Amino acid sequence: MADSPYPLAPYSHSLSPDTRHLLWSVAPGVVWIVIFLVLPSLYLISVAFMTNGPYGQPQMPLSLASFRQLAGFGFLGWSPGNLYTLLRSLWQTLVATGLVVLIAYPIAYHISTCRRQWRAIMLLAVVVPSWTNQVIRAFGWMNLLSPGTPISQVAQFFGFIGPNMGLYPSNFAVTLGLMYNFLPFMVLPLYAAFEKLDTGLVEAARDLYASPLRAFWHAVFPQTLPGLLAGTVLVSIPAFGMYVIPELLGGGRAMMLGNLVASQFSGGSNWPLGAAGALIMLLATLGGLYAMRKVGKRLGGGEEVVI
Amino acid sequence: MRRSAFRRSLTLFWWLMVAFLYLPLGVIVLYSFNAANSAAYFAGFSLRWYERLLGNDQLLTALGNTLVLGVASSVIALVIGTLIGYGMYRHRRRKLGWLIALIYLPIVMPDIVFGISEMAFFITLDREFGVLGPSLATMIIAHVTFQIPFVALIVYSRFVGLDPTLFEAAKDLYASPFQRARHFLLPTLKPSLVAAFFLAFTLSVDDFVISFFTAGPENATLPIYIWGAIRRGVSPEINAIATLMILSVAIAAVISLLFNKESRRN
Repeated sequence: MADSPYPLAPYSHSLSPDTRHLLWSVAPGVVWIVIFLVLPSLYLISVAFMTNGPYGQPQMPLSLASFRQLAGFGFLGWSPGNLYTLLRSLWQTLVATGLVVLIAYPIAYHISTCRRQWRAIMLLAVVVPSWTNQVIRAFGWMNLLSPGTPISQVAQFFGFIGPNMGLYPSNFAVTLGLMYNFLPFMVLPLYAAFEKLDTGLVEAARDLYASPLRAFWHAVFPQTLPGLLAGTVLVSIPAFGMYVIPELLGGGRAMMLGNLVASQFSGGSNWPLGAAGALIMLLATLGGLYAMRKVGKRLGGGEEVVI
Repeated sequence: MRRSAFRRSLTLFWWLMVAFLYLPLGVIVLYSFNAANSAAYFAGFSLRWYERLLGNDQLLTALGNTLVLGVASSVIALVIGTLIGYGMYRHRRRKLGWLIALIYLPIVMPDIVFGISEMAFFITLDREFGVLGPSLATMIIAHVTFQIPFVALIVYSRFVGLDPTLFEAAKDLYASPFQRARHFLLPTLKPSLVAAFFLAFTLSVDDFVISFFTAGPENATLPIYIWGAIRRGVSPEINAIATLMILSVAIAAVISLLFNKESRRN
């Protein structure tokens, strides 16, 4: 400190110039994110533990009433509506993610085996639809699945839906919309994994008379696992919190957690209940990320799963 | 023999997936030219829905809001995010886990939680202190918040790709911090700054959920307008607006393809 030009300047003892440089450069962004995201989130979390006032505004005293309501205990006794919504969100996420994996594996493999000059175009073809606004994409499916369209008529012919009905609104339409929305997020990381694939291992397995399935399981699957994990994070976490697709394609009986939360802040107005749902979503997100990180590290693919 | 059958079925599967991806968009484009007001049958070619768009004042206002919001938020996020990216790079040898966690927070947070918490926060501020009621300003604030991380990460990764001795060289030549920024940092960063600005702008234009929950009643953006139109009852006009938005994405795709080819050639 003896060579400091301002020996008595405030803070010069505690902060080196290096630290001050760091703080000045990151301060605006850190302050911005803390004020406009961390504080609002903390406020929302605290609302979850307050009581619902007469106009849907949160009030003291603190209580766990909102969580009891989320579990279905209302003024009129217990009803499973909210729990169904929670379970449906989990189920839809699981189904959509699983189906997306089944589609993305062969697609990613196929792209990685095509000629080099085609690959960029094929990847672009996969990604471009997701550049359009998600409201428009959901609207496209509304057009396709509404009553009287060819797809709905085929479904009627096979007896999946009643006469003069459409395939939307329904849980099926929500699953389809989720798959459509998130397919690129699975194809891209899987493709990255396939591009680095050591095909020697696969040939060795085939030379040793492994069946295609066994060759896939022992030679391909472990090598593409980091991509699969990254894709699962990218698909399942936003799918669980999806708002637009269930709202447009789902109707009342296909509500997901995001819709329950949003409706508590608009018409229905029960902020604590909505905040409790948001808190669950936040915990699920953090829990999912944490679990994936753990699994990824154990498999030695920690570098690829950067999130 | 079996090998080629496998390949052929993969190719078929690929084209089925392409159909799956483009069918919903294709239907929108097709029905935007439908003479009849129906999503079930095509009655003939007509431009009447596009003609209706021209006289739609609400739509033009929404377009204006989208552009103002996109440009204003991207400019602010560019300045703040570039500073963070620079700080992260210069101090990359220190423990910055807290900073990285903070930067990833807006990215990993579910949209709906992001939007709702900002909305609850702004509404409460407005009620208690009379500031920051839902308006274009609150939308800009929310957009900047989710744009900052992307700008910071782009700028940071550009710095990481640079030769670290360049920084030493600039210092050795007695360049002042301002001169270093003016003659070394900004010129080398320029391509990444342009890329970061366009990414931030695209994210802003594409966002629906966060805008929807932070907007005041008069601040509808294009996605919010379309959402409202869908909720009021499906009208073929939406097909026409959506087609124009799909067209802009298609143009962006072609540009990115050309850009890709160009950069590969160099």
